[in-house]
Amino acid sequence: MRKDFAWFVRRGLLLCAILIVCAGIIGTVRADRYSTEQWFDLVAFGLTLGGVYALIALGYSMVYGVLRLINFAHGDTMTVGVFIAYFVARGLEHTKLFETSPAVAVAIILIVGAVVSALVALLVERFAYRPVRASGGFAPLITSIGMSFLLQQTCRGMFGSGVKAYPDPGWLQGSMRIGTFSVPNVEVMVLCAAALVMAGLYLVVNGTRMGTAMRATAEDPRAAVLMGIDINKVIAFTFLLGGLTAGVGGVLYALIYKQVYFMMGFLPGIKAFGAAVLGGIGSIPGAMAGGIILGLAEGIGPTLILDGLGIPAPYQLRDLFAFALLITVLICRPQGLFGEAPARRA
Amino acid sequence: MKHKLSFAGAAMAIGSLVLAGQVHAETVPPVTDPLGVLVLPKGAPLEIGGYWVLSGSDAALGVDQKRGVELAIEDWKKTLVGHPIVLDAQDSQCSAEGGQIAATKLASNPNTVVVIGPSCSSEATPAAPILWKAGIVDIGTSSTAPSLTAADRNAGFHGFARTVFSDADQGKGDGNYIFNVLKAKKVVTIHDGSPYASQLVAEFVKTYAALGGTVLSQEAIQPTDVDMHPLLTRIAAEKPDVIYMPIFVAAAGQIARQAKTTTGLETTQLIGGGSLMTGDIITAAGDAVVGMKITYPDISPEALGKGYPDFVEKYKSAYGEAPVSGYHAMAYDAAAIAFKAIEQVAKTDDEGTTYIGRQALRDAIFATDTDGISGRIKCDADGECAQFKLGVFEYVNADPTTFKIGDNPKKIYP
Repeated sequence: MRKDFAWFVRRGLLLCAILIVCAGIIGTVRADRYSTEQWFDLVAFGLTLGGVYALIALGYSMVYGVLRLINFAHGDTMTVGVFIAYFVARGLEHTKLFETSPAVAVAIILIVGAVVSALVALLVERFAYRPVRASGGFAPLITSIGMSFLLQQTCRGMFGSGVKAYPDPGWLQGSMRIGTFSVPNVEVMVLCAAALVMAGLYLVVNGTRMGTAMRATAEDPRAAVLMGIDINKVIAFTFLLGGLTAGVGGVLYALIYKQVYFMMGFLPGIKAFGAAVLGGIGSIPGAMAGGIILGLAEGIGPTLILDGLGIPAPYQLRDLFAFALLITVLICRPQGLFGEAPARRA
Repeated sequence: MKHKLSFAGAAMAIGSLVLAGQVHAETVPPVTDPLGVLVLPKGAPLEIGGYWVLSGSDAALGVDQKRGVELAIEDWKKTLVGHPIVLDAQDSQCSAEGGQIAATKLASNPNTVVVIGPSCSSEATPAAPILWKAGIVDIGTSSTAPSLTAADRNAGFHGFARTVFSDADQGKGDGNYIFNVLKAKKVVTIHDGSPYASQLVAEFVKTYAALGGTVLSQEAIQPTDVDMHPLLTRIAAEKPDVIYMPIFVAAAGQIARQAKTTTGLETTQLIGGGSLMTGDIITAAGDAVVGMKITYPDISPEALGKGYPDFVEKYKSAYGEAPVSGYHAMAYDAAAIAFKAIEQVAKTDDEGTTYIGRQALRDAIFATDTDGISGRIKCDADGECAQFKLGVFEYVNADPTTFKIGDNPKKIYP
């Protein structure tokens, strides 16, 4: 293999990154500031956050896989679902369902959030993306940015610009003991729910006719049409699945942080997009892994690496750290961790 | 076509001259003023600008201050020097961009006499120079960053005064209280990068360290951050006695909630600043708000002006609720000193036209020495008009409807 200048630059950057990471880890371990329980807390929280990012990232990845479109409105479709679920949750508070059957109450608001997000995603696809799909160029991309603003401002107009507090049922406030460690119930619930949804999605995509059609469309849309696949139906189904997972992710996010506001989809949306790219955009396992890795990087990265390098107040650099990781991966593996490299043309 | 262009050009030139004449003329009989004279024809409204955070998680802060100004307008029977008072209130959203947009809009109105507000120092920092460039005095109502009234401040801030204390004074008070009264010897500070929080933390650290306290670390977050666990885990490893966090509602609520589930921080004392004197923090923090302390001006009757209790009654009857935040009195006083200064410098001719010299108005406001409802209002040459007397409050109930300054949060010091 011919080693060109870019190859050396990539390897040099990778070596620098590895050296910095090693120096940071050694510094942190030698300082011995954190107890085992605290490391466990950080990992558990990183995994929880990663689970949520993964759920949201799935929508980005599936839509990109089928349409080659980056759906910037994805985080905002999630916001709409979370808002409607918030009102349902507030209503449920009056019924005392949170006290008598907390699991049922949480399941109801998760389902409401998922269904509403999925409906919004379907509407966006039908009335905003489908008309410009054939036009190519930047039209679909700009449309997605426009839809993002439209949904944000609609939420602002309808629900106000203030932060609304999500219900905090007593059931989610406690902690669970795992050996000598303690994990908040909300984190356990979020991890379990995220794992269930991801497993369900994996089964749908790999074990149903519509899932097969989705994969075929992602592989080669023209060939899929020639094989009799109704591509409009497949695309709508993809948006439906993306909306469902994003809705669940959004409600879980709101249950962790106990708040909802009209811009809440923006930041997790951007991070989930980063997670999808990190895992290899278009790849469903990649989106799951990317989300988990990004969550862990945010959760433990600043403490494990930046702290050991003697950087004061490393927490404020956590986004920088997470995206530096993303850039490093992309420099070394442009298609992401699980993405396929573009085929070389003869 | 040529004639049309000539006509349009002439019209524009005349319009520019008329506009410039209204704002920058030095002499408009009977008034001469180096900054320009504002002319109000008979019956024209006297426009007061205002800009506060009126939406979002900190809206209570700004709404409370807007109400303070509205009540002052009511007390003046909505009329000043023979003109109806009109308040043009802008929502500047507690951000630099919001402040810049609001100030540009207010400054572009040649009839804006004076501007009251803002709530946040981050709004005042870009806004005050824009307003002063147009010759408009800005009176801050809860923007407390020391740089705004520092002796060495930029000339763009020479038109800025405020009826709220400086964080330089609060920082000293907070440092003394935490070291000498709470006997806390190790603290961690958190700011959100806003001029208010970062400058207050800097002043606090200066005092606290000078007293012999140990500042373990000075952390920073974004106002929109929700994920505080990594930060709190790091802080827990330092084992502080107190976390000093004069930040805003959304982030403070997250820290309060997540600290309760962070190993090692379950009982660590959280102390916030005046930005958390609002019922919204109870909603944001939930049960975790109980035990949270905030430092704030002492609002006991002996510390405040004599008129404060009556003012609170008027507030309740006008808005059907107790004050929703803590800076309404400062906002009332800001409007009151502006109105008194206008009465002092405005001249009205026989035809009922009123003339207000802008430099004269600035000088009159900066010469204020009076009793306000928030206490003594005596402006110095740098526009600092308020004196700070420390009070410490503690939230004792997690029900948002129980918010009432003095009861929940309950005054615990002095």
